[in-house]
Amino acid sequence: MNDLIEFFKRAFHIIVLAVLLILSVVMLGKSLSFNDYRLSRAVQSIVGPIQKSGAGMMHRLRLGPENEALVQQNIQLLREHENMFIEKTDTTLTEMSRPDSLNTTRVRLYDYTYAHVIFKTTDRAFNYMIVDKGANDGIARDMAVLSPNGVAGVVTDVSSNFATVRPILHPETRISAVVTPANQNGTVIWEGNDPRVAYLESIPQHSEINIGDSVFTNGFSNIFPKGLFIGTVKEVKVGNNASFLTIKINLATKYTDLYTVYLVENLFKPEIDSLKANFKDE
Amino acid sequence: MNNIIANILRFTILLAAQVAVCQHVCLFGYMKPALFLLALFLLPMELPLSLQYLIGFLSGFAVDAFAHTFGVSSFACTLMMFLRPYVAHMLNGSNNAKFENIDRPVPGPKDFRWVSLYTLILSAIYQITAVMLETMSFRNFGHTLLVILGNTLFTVFVILCIEYIFHSRTKNEA
Repeated sequence: MNDLIEFFKRAFHIIVLAVLLILSVVMLGKSLSFNDYRLSRAVQSIVGPIQKSGAGMMHRLRLGPENEALVQQNIQLLREHENMFIEKTDTTLTEMSRPDSLNTTRVRLYDYTYAHVIFKTTDRAFNYMIVDKGANDGIARDMAVLSPNGVAGVVTDVSSNFATVRPILHPETRISAVVTPANQNGTVIWEGNDPRVAYLESIPQHSEINIGDSVFTNGFSNIFPKGLFIGTVKEVKVGNNASFLTIKINLATKYTDLYTVYLVENLFKPEIDSLKANFKDE
Repeated sequence: MNNIIANILRFTILLAAQVAVCQHVCLFGYMKPALFLLALFLLPMELPLSLQYLIGFLSGFAVDAFAHTFGVSSFACTLMMFLRPYVAHMLNGSNNAKFENIDRPVPGPKDFRWVSLYTLILSAIYQITAVMLETMSFRNFGHTLLVILGNTLFTVFVILCIEYIFHSRTKNEA
């Protein structure tokens, strides 16, 4: 009996070794057979949260490239939106008279590109921004500038590699807008120092405007496509001028943390402008 | 007591570094350093053998848990811990069968040749076992050999760098 205990004492580490090696082999066997996930699942419940926080940290380091890819994808999607096109209907008589069989072609009216804001002011009376794309990248004057949240401004000056943008936060900016659901057209202007708030002018007093109503572009200017979000109504007052309301709106664009902007080009702008020029001459 | 805390701390840091950084390093697409082996290499030789095996198994299991390769590292580490005293003994060049007399396997008491050979042999044992168990086939054996060789050399390089960066001559000789 003593011999046996003595043997166990001497051989104890060998027994431990054998047990551990066998345990490893059993685990190995389990993980190789594809229908037994119990061990994997049990361990994952402990290890998972750690790996998740680690992956989150690594992800934050790679946000830049991922953002670029998402911007590209956004542009692809934005380009397909219906306000990018005008529908031309062939009005000559066709064999079938059903309306849906009319020869309708979609013509692209607007096109998108994107840029990054490299300099901006928001606290002055005359604010401006500079973006990192210019004439070499196809940027031209009077292109519309959008933020991810809504309308941001208009390109006013272009050099070969950079462009100046006049945001809504500028006394000379005027954007034709429509307020829904009242469906009244007006003009968005900015006065004062608050980069979060602008005014909506020339809305007749009889229209029913409620706080929280949305303001969109109406597409009259040929700069902004129709239906882009500008902001929501914050305050409605009867102005000094008795025929119009004074409407304060919260701007959708967060100018203080604006980095990526989308630029919209009207492909038919020269044609439309030439028509406007003729109109002035007469 | 101080020694125990130092060892536990070393295990924690090296295991964290292993699962957070080293497992994601893929030099040339396949080379991963097994940095956590350093904690096992520096384990005192005087510890009871069964405890050494257990520590090896558990640290292997921790690495396995993060890499979803159950049994691979556990087996390789346990085997390596079993062979560690023999390797140290062989390098000491004595026929003395008692493992307790072996000095600490650190750069201070041992010269560079001893430490590098010790690291190389044990890393090779670990990598051969782990890579073979993970591959589980002799198909494309050339590539398996390349992975073993690459992993071993990378591991040895990283471990020796760390050992000699943190080795302070005065502390070890005192």
